[in-house]
Amino acid sequence: MASLYNAWGPILDLYLLQLGFAFSQYLVLRAGVFSLATAALAAIGAYTAGILAVKHGVHPALGILAGTGMGTAAALVLSWPLARLRGVYQAIATLAFVQIVLSLNIWAEGLTGGAMGLMNIPRVVGTPGLLAAAVAVTYIIWAIGRTRIGRTFDVIRENEAVAVSLGVSVPRWQALAFALSGAIAGLFGALEAFHSYALDPNIFGFSFLIATLSYVVFGGRKSVLGPLVGTAVLILLPELARPLAENRVLVYGLLLILVINFLPRGVADTLLDAWHRRRLARRSAAAAEALR
Amino acid sequence: MTGGLELRALGKRFGGVVAADDVNMSVPPGRITGLIGPNGAGKTTIVNLVTGMLSVSSGSILFDGRDITHAPAHAIARAGLARTFQNIRLMPEASILDNVMVGFHRHETSGLLAALLRLPAAARETRAMRDRAMALIGRFGLAALADHPAGGLSYGHQRRVEIMRALATDPRLILLDEPVAGMNDVESAEMAEVIRGLAAEGRAILLIEHDMRFVTGLCAHVYALDGGRLIAEGSARAVLSDPVVIEAYLGSPLDA
Repeated sequence: MASLYNAWGPILDLYLLQLGFAFSQYLVLRAGVFSLATAALAAIGAYTAGILAVKHGVHPALGILAGTGMGTAAALVLSWPLARLRGVYQAIATLAFVQIVLSLNIWAEGLTGGAMGLMNIPRVVGTPGLLAAAVAVTYIIWAIGRTRIGRTFDVIRENEAVAVSLGVSVPRWQALAFALSGAIAGLFGALEAFHSYALDPNIFGFSFLIATLSYVVFGGRKSVLGPLVGTAVLILLPELARPLAENRVLVYGLLLILVINFLPRGVADTLLDAWHRRRLARRSAAAAEALR
Repeated sequence: MTGGLELRALGKRFGGVVAADDVNMSVPPGRITGLIGPNGAGKTTIVNLVTGMLSVSSGSILFDGRDITHAPAHAIARAGLARTFQNIRLMPEASILDNVMVGFHRHETSGLLAALLRLPAAARETRAMRDRAMALIGRFGLAALADHPAGGLSYGHQRRVEIMRALATDPRLILLDEPVAGMNDVESAEMAEVIRGLAAEGRAILLIEHDMRFVTGLCAHVYALDGGRLIAEGSARAVLSDPVVIEAYLGSPLDA
């Protein structure tokens, strides 16, 4: 058991952290916002927690709370100008935001440690802490899908004009999606800080953004299972076939091209839809049988 | 005039183009009011002005005695005004049930935190909305298909789902934008029954239509629009035999 954990523990930790970022990305997409800001919001959460701990000796629990709060606040501020943009323009604007946060982290050497990174963060978060956070966030995402929040997000994503005609205030609900996405990104950013001794500004750059987007696109954007499955496959695949690990980004790129072309709804959602259709067909057949 | 919708000298300009000019109409509750006109007459512009999708250039709109001329679109919907779309707009992959349930948005009151954590209040609300949606679907005779994706339904059934979604908001006025476009005679006769039923419940109905026969059979009062201006109003028969209306539809007679 212990040796099993030694071998797979780090991968499990990596999975749980990445799962949080995947859910942050999933939430904005679900509400019809094409935002790529998760990388920047995670960086804000991570650096808030890290700086508070290293420079001010703040208790980690408070640091995690502050990181979550800063992620939420930054997302809320960002949602205001973004409400005026649509589709690919939102993607471009949030990509710029990621780049700005990255540059600021490198530039503000006195505060963030600059390109050298922020060192000596106490490593107080282990697998149990990550697991608790991942379970909590998974539950919240599942709950959102089963209450009025999920229904409202769905109709906004599918057709904004319809949403408005039903009395939905689109900017308000998209701000909510943003704030939740920022809270999750900030929380998992802070957890990452307390899990890894040091923060390097480049962790939260373009490859982070591509990875989180890949988890959701690969797994699926509709059900809770999408990010769970997508993240698992994309984390495990390079570990199972070691040569692939060297070319992780290349593998992600290839898989994305394949999935977008052949399973545009993602692996998990496609399987769920197929299962649902089979069940409906069986029920219709049974009803037809009963009529004869 | 008490209740219903009232347009007073409504106007809309896009730059130099006049899309609606000095339009005066009233749509009383419990009756079906028709709005006809050839393609490009400005019928959908009127719908978009009333529902707040377009900003009004001049004139005013009253709904149940309240001025909604410059109210935001979602606030107008929450005030009890629903619409259907000329080109059907459903969530094609979602089930009929899910499509109808989103219509209850303005009646949902559970707190955000309760919904986020799926506390009992939020779960109860979702169950209540599902029951109300199923009752509505049953009334429209689609209960057996409730779990099927809306995108796979026939054209007539998709129109019904759109009307159910609008009805779920429990509106006092419904704007129906060409509800029988592309339907066969059987489907359109069924739709006529549905619309009569809505008016009988005391709702105000504004029916925007192309199909003259359909309008004649249903509407108590008809307005005819051409080039953004009202060219005739009155009983369906009188409007349809008005030479100005005939000319708008068929063009002016050749000089003999």
